[in-house]
Amino acid sequence: MTDTRPTTREASTGASRGRAAPRRFWTLRRSDALAGYLFITPQVLGVLVFVIVPVGLGIWYSLNEWNVFTGELDFVGGDNYTAALNDPQLPSVLGATALFSGGVVVLNIALGLGLAVMLNRRFRGVAFFRTLFFSPVVVSVVAWTLVWGFLLQDNGGINGVLSLIGVDGPNWLQNGPTAMVSVTFTQVVRSVGINMVLFLAALQGVPKELYEAARIDGASNRRIFTRITLPLISPTLMLTAIITIVGALQSFAQIAVLTGGGPGLSTTVLVFYVFQQTFGFNDIGYGSTLALMLLTFVMLLTVLQWQLRKKWVTYED
Amino acid sequence: MHTAKKLVSALALGTVALTAGCGGQASSDDVELRMSVWTSNEAQLALFNEIGDAYKATHPEIKSITFESLPFAEYNTTLTTQIAGGNAPDLAWMGDLSADLIKSGALVPLTDAFKGTENWGYDDLLPSATAEFSRDGQLFAYPFSNSPFALYVNTDLVDEAGQTLPALPTWDDVSKIGAAVHTATDKGGFVINDFNYASWNTLATVWTGFGASAWSTDGTQCGFTSPEMTSAFRFLHDAIFTAESMPGPGTTADFFAGDAAFAVAQVSRAGLLDGSFKYDVRPLPQGPAGSYSVLGQAGMGVLKSSDHAEQATDFLAFLTNPENAAKLAQYFPPPRKALLSGEALAANNTKFSAEQLQTVVVDQIADAVTLPNHTSPAEIAQKAKTALDSMWTADADVPAVLASVCTAIDPLLLAE
Amino acid sequence: MRTERRARTGPVLRRVALYVALTVMALPFVVPTLWMVTSSFKPLNEIFATPPSLFGSSPTAGAYAEAFAFQPFARQYFNSVYIALVVTATVLLVSALAGYAFARIRFPGRNLLFVTVLVGLLVPSEVTIVPLFQMFKEAGLVNTHWPLILVTAFAAPCVLATFVMRQFFIALPVELEEAARLDGLGRLGIWWRICVPLAKPALSAVAILTFLASWNLYLEPTVYLTSPDLFTLPQALTRFTDPYGGEMWNTQLAAATMTVVPVLVVFLIAQRQFVESLAHSGLKG
Repeated sequence: MTDTRPTTREASTGASRGRAAPRRFWTLRRSDALAGYLFITPQVLGVLVFVIVPVGLGIWYSLNEWNVFTGELDFVGGDNYTAALNDPQLPSVLGATALFSGGVVVLNIALGLGLAVMLNRRFRGVAFFRTLFFSPVVVSVVAWTLVWGFLLQDNGGINGVLSLIGVDGPNWLQNGPTAMVSVTFTQVVRSVGINMVLFLAALQGVPKELYEAARIDGASNRRIFTRITLPLISPTLMLTAIITIVGALQSFAQIAVLTGGGPGLSTTVLVFYVFQQTFGFNDIGYGSTLALMLLTFVMLLTVLQWQLRKKWVTYED
Repeated sequence: MHTAKKLVSALALGTVALTAGCGGQASSDDVELRMSVWTSNEAQLALFNEIGDAYKATHPEIKSITFESLPFAEYNTTLTTQIAGGNAPDLAWMGDLSADLIKSGALVPLTDAFKGTENWGYDDLLPSATAEFSRDGQLFAYPFSNSPFALYVNTDLVDEAGQTLPALPTWDDVSKIGAAVHTATDKGGFVINDFNYASWNTLATVWTGFGASAWSTDGTQCGFTSPEMTSAFRFLHDAIFTAESMPGPGTTADFFAGDAAFAVAQVSRAGLLDGSFKYDVRPLPQGPAGSYSVLGQAGMGVLKSSDHAEQATDFLAFLTNPENAAKLAQYFPPPRKALLSGEALAANNTKFSAEQLQTVVVDQIADAVTLPNHTSPAEIAQKAKTALDSMWTADADVPAVLASVCTAIDPLLLAE
Repeated sequence: MRTERRARTGPVLRRVALYVALTVMALPFVVPTLWMVTSSFKPLNEIFATPPSLFGSSPTAGAYAEAFAFQPFARQYFNSVYIALVVTATVLLVSALAGYAFARIRFPGRNLLFVTVLVGLLVPSEVTIVPLFQMFKEAGLVNTHWPLILVTAFAAPCVLATFVMRQFFIALPVELEEAARLDGLGRLGIWWRICVPLAKPALSAVAILTFLASWNLYLEPTVYLTSPDLFTLPQALTRFTDPYGGEMWNTQLAAATMTVVPVLVVFLIAQRQFVESLAHSGLKG
């Protein structure tokens, strides 16, 4: 950076070589580093206490069986893990999780990008529409889910409107496949606003000259989009994908309030299953095991995507 | 980690000053008792507070007795969280959580305390009422509410369909009349009120009449594959899909809003009758196994974790002595023989006559069975429900679905 | 809708098509909120009437009164608001400090520590909730607001904020700081006098995201809080059930409306700032 530090250091080490001048311990670099440590202490301490330590404890709990009413802990080693491997419900849970997360991510990115492209122009009312599409983001998750639950009842608003055009709507929340569609759709509509905004910002960062040049060369719109736009907004695409998938894997309130994991197991995703085992059935050991499984998935996916970015993301610099 | 604990504990010191002091009283003079309940009915709470005040008057060491209303829908989870969080009440109401609580030894045995209280009248308790809350001859929770299930009848709808209900109807009668009402008025036939295609344990109000039960008395053998249970479910399946006398999945017909001819619900639900239609209440219809009755119960117990278990037990004995039990009986059908008469119950009941209460409540309690109860109730409920979900389609294979229920819950039944 | 080649009348047709498409697509985003508001004024038996009507025959505000009578709703509202404010203020401070340090100050182990902090973003709260519950139980803090405040203020929402602030500070020109240093300011001074004032867009984005995160907490209040007086709004909204578990639809919708409308109104007034600060927060990668 600047060239003040080396000289100070020289001076101090020079001083330590036996001159009479007192040694400075707190060199600029050192006191700067100290400031750095102090600045990050609240955050690092917070993460240690409220994240890292609990994960460690969670691992410990997964090795025990815990009676909630008496508070007794019984060490059972890997029993919970073998139970997980033999759990007949777990494959269905994992399937539902994959379906939900995959659906949310694909739709969220496609819709977010589509909306951003449509709204990336100047026309009357563009700001109005942007606001409309963003508004569910600020609505409380629970309130949003409750209203959709209300609309999706067999005799609710959605089927009411469908009946006006002569369509007999299904019982959305009581049928496995339609319940999954419902939770996915509700989550996408709620959260796509943020992605739309991020994509808009990214699109606006694409230099217009590139478009003009491509048009002069006679490129079609499709080609412009795939060869110029997409690569240039790929950092945002990547980041959004990560955020959306991590968010989807952690979507608890939406499922709990809309379907309670039902009907049957059709919308029981892993995060809900963890909650059900831990707080519904008081099986804390098993719940902790499942929670660690969830954590592993999240980390694997994130690391995977981060590694792939080297391959997929084009940077200007 | 030590620093973390110290840090958090230091914050605790600051917070303890702010949080309402709960539990952990050192002095024996300032006893504060807390009972968790699931009712938020003002009149009921007023009665409890009145009894609490009467107790405090004669027991000056008791500083306060509070009745904390926890929301009914999550009562079990909330209470469990309180216990797990070191925030347990001294006394608590319990429904299906009782089996878990008793099994894990979380409740104080009450028999000796009750017997030792003067004029408490332990022998006055009905065995059918205490069965569910006792183990090895010890009572662990006082069954303060014993509400039999009854058949509510919307006589207006039945008349409209040109039907008459026999004096001692069977389930086939009910289904026939229900189907007729549905065809004539497009309203629902009969509903099992709290079932909603989710809480399958309420179907015990039907299958008991066929001689079936969810599991053996000791709770280890699955009863869903028995011939009696199969007949019961065939009856229900036909009622839904063939006769259309019972509304199918996803269709709601609220009897108390006048949308169904019959409802099977507890007597305590009578408060929902708003007088917009003429009604009658009868004992449950007879099944192939004859007449029967089913109870829904709630108990009150003392938690061992309480700092004042002894005082709490003493208060419970007072709360449930003959005099106070009579007062509670105006809201909750009591387990005491002396209090079980139609007149006594009608004294405070505006919906039913003494005669109705006699036939529907008093005569039913003595031989009633309770709704299925077991340890790990939530897990059994969920696993069985998942298996039963396939029952509610037009082409379900009834025996196969029932077999899958047993497969699902066998591990839990055997995990004693 | 990619633009397509059309004849001269193309532009007008295209414009109309665009408006239609946008309006249709906007329906699922807007109608639920509208439906929620209008249904909250309907009497209970009209809420599920077919064919659906927007206003019902006799609008009544009874559900609103019921919402306050059924639960200590006003108190719960206050709880949500003050917790969100406290958390947001804390996060702004902690993340601005940490984000700046990670961006600008060199110290040994900086990258390792940053990655460690980022881990906080990946760990779902369902994984940590039970151990945290135990820790708070030891400290006697279950059934208080402390877990909600402390965990939210230092864990995932704060880590995201630190990430955002770091992105932002990295992009700040170094010359500004060098000039300040020549003027004799120490790190804290540089941070407070120069960098923080410049960070308004990022700080706004952080404030919005954190406020929403705290406002939306559902798992944590459900697990830690057992006294209705202490509940927060999301938790309270799901508790509008009658004594036997049936949904009190109109009361629920009234309560939901009261939860949603103020935030929406604030958003509508400040929507430009909202959206712009998010766009320029540096989140886009």
